[in-house]
Amino acid sequence: MTDAGAAPPASGRFRGRQRPRGMALWWPALLGALSIAVLIGSAAATGTLQLANPDQSSVSEVRAAFEALPDDALVVVGMDADLGTYPEIMPAVRAAFDDLLARGASLAFVSVSVEGRAVAAAELARLRSAGADADALLDLGFTSGVEAALVRLVSDALPAGASGAVADTVTERGGGLAAFDMALLIGGGDVGPRTWVEQVGTRLPQLPMVGIAPTFAQPELVPYLRTGQLEALLATVRDDAAFVESVAATNGEPATAGGSPSAAAMLLGMLVALAVLGRALVGALPRLRGPAPPQVTEDDEA
Amino acid sequence: MSGFFDEGLAGVVATWIAALVTIGVWAYLAGERRFFRLAQHLLAGLATGYLTVLAVREVLIPRLLEPLVSDPGGQLLLWPALVLVLAMAGARWLARPVVAVPAAILVAGVAAFALGGAVVGTLLPQMAGTLLPPGPAGSVVNGLIGLVITALVLVGFLHGVPRGRLMVGAAGTGRWLLLGGIGGWLGFLLVSRLALLVDRLQFLLVDWLGIAR
Repeated sequence: MTDAGAAPPASGRFRGRQRPRGMALWWPALLGALSIAVLIGSAAATGTLQLANPDQSSVSEVRAAFEALPDDALVVVGMDADLGTYPEIMPAVRAAFDDLLARGASLAFVSVSVEGRAVAAAELARLRSAGADADALLDLGFTSGVEAALVRLVSDALPAGASGAVADTVTERGGGLAAFDMALLIGGGDVGPRTWVEQVGTRLPQLPMVGIAPTFAQPELVPYLRTGQLEALLATVRDDAAFVESVAATNGEPATAGGSPSAAAMLLGMLVALAVLGRALVGALPRLRGPAPPQVTEDDEA
Repeated sequence: MSGFFDEGLAGVVATWIAALVTIGVWAYLAGERRFFRLAQHLLAGLATGYLTVLAVREVLIPRLLEPLVSDPGGQLLLWPALVLVLAMAGARWLARPVVAVPAAILVAGVAAFALGGAVVGTLLPQMAGTLLPPGPAGSVVNGLIGLVITALVLVGFLHGVPRGRLMVGAAGTGRWLLLGGIGGWLGFLLVSRLALLVDRLQFLLVDWLGIAR
């Protein structure tokens, strides 16, 4: 064992930390380039780079599901987003809240995941501070147990001490999830529309379910859309952006909704990713061709 | 832009803390680990504290203790639940067979609900959806392609079974198709993570620095 592979002793301005080498030198450059792209994208005229998906089918399905709601509808929001991925779907989620509230629907938030509860509490506080009608919002809180919690919610969704117009209506309709006209399911890494479909959808097949989930969950969730277990689904950044645009065009620009990610920065990031992928593929080509033929030496010939 | 922070002093302080922690985590990329470790400890401490408060305030007190105190005889099932909670809380000092009971109930309950839901809510409906009668030509072709890919990938998982040249070729094709599927999913993951990175940059530039507001 030699010292050939060991890190050089720390000295000078790198004392006490690792000296940046190799790819570490590229990260600041990438962040700088993405920052410039964000700034250029915000300064460029609208429409120069379009993030919103021109295929409006997903948006149309979600809006059709919202339009099918009765007057003064009760919508249960299954908020199980996680803190790591929520920023990706946040604009679409907030646009959905704005759209539902503008249609006169009431929203009841419930979470069966710990992180989802934190997001739900923050969103409820944001909606209240933004001036949403307090009678149209209800906090059903956190129920522990994930799958078991969802089964419990089917028959008993109201926590002890819940009060208000929405709580009264839910009580009149039986107190369980069947009291609601729709479930809006906000998914994260672990818990999300799939868990709701498996536990609640099998027990309340008449409850329409609409999902909003991060992009990586789309391959997992699309089959539920095909079987009709989910009525509509937003699960890509482009569909989210198209939905936000669609709601803003109908209801006007929401006051506090977060913006979609910069299209210029997304484009640059994907180009960088493709360049890295291409470089890796070129490096892997010799191995893909198979093992090299054995070298014939003079001894072998002898 | 996140809309979570107020306009007042509390919002300004929260924005500054969020911005500095973001930069502290990114400093890891440039070889600086001290701020990253600090952020890790901060996250672990906050998560533990939050979890404890949530468990006590939203589960133990309203769903266990308050009903027992208000009506001790009316909620008989909560008494064994209290015993199980105490057994889990005292797991460090109790004998293993005692702790094993609540742990086994917990694991078995979760597994039963998850497995039952997966079978009834996913497996059976998806199988029923796959076995639809033939419709338009396009859907039949799509279905056949899906069937062939599924079969080839499943053949790719056959190990230790005597196989001829045809099966070896099919298994190799199945493995490549599997890799293609994983690659496609990684593409979705990349877009997802890229959106998060861009969101953080927009937070720093717009919310924190006030550029391009």
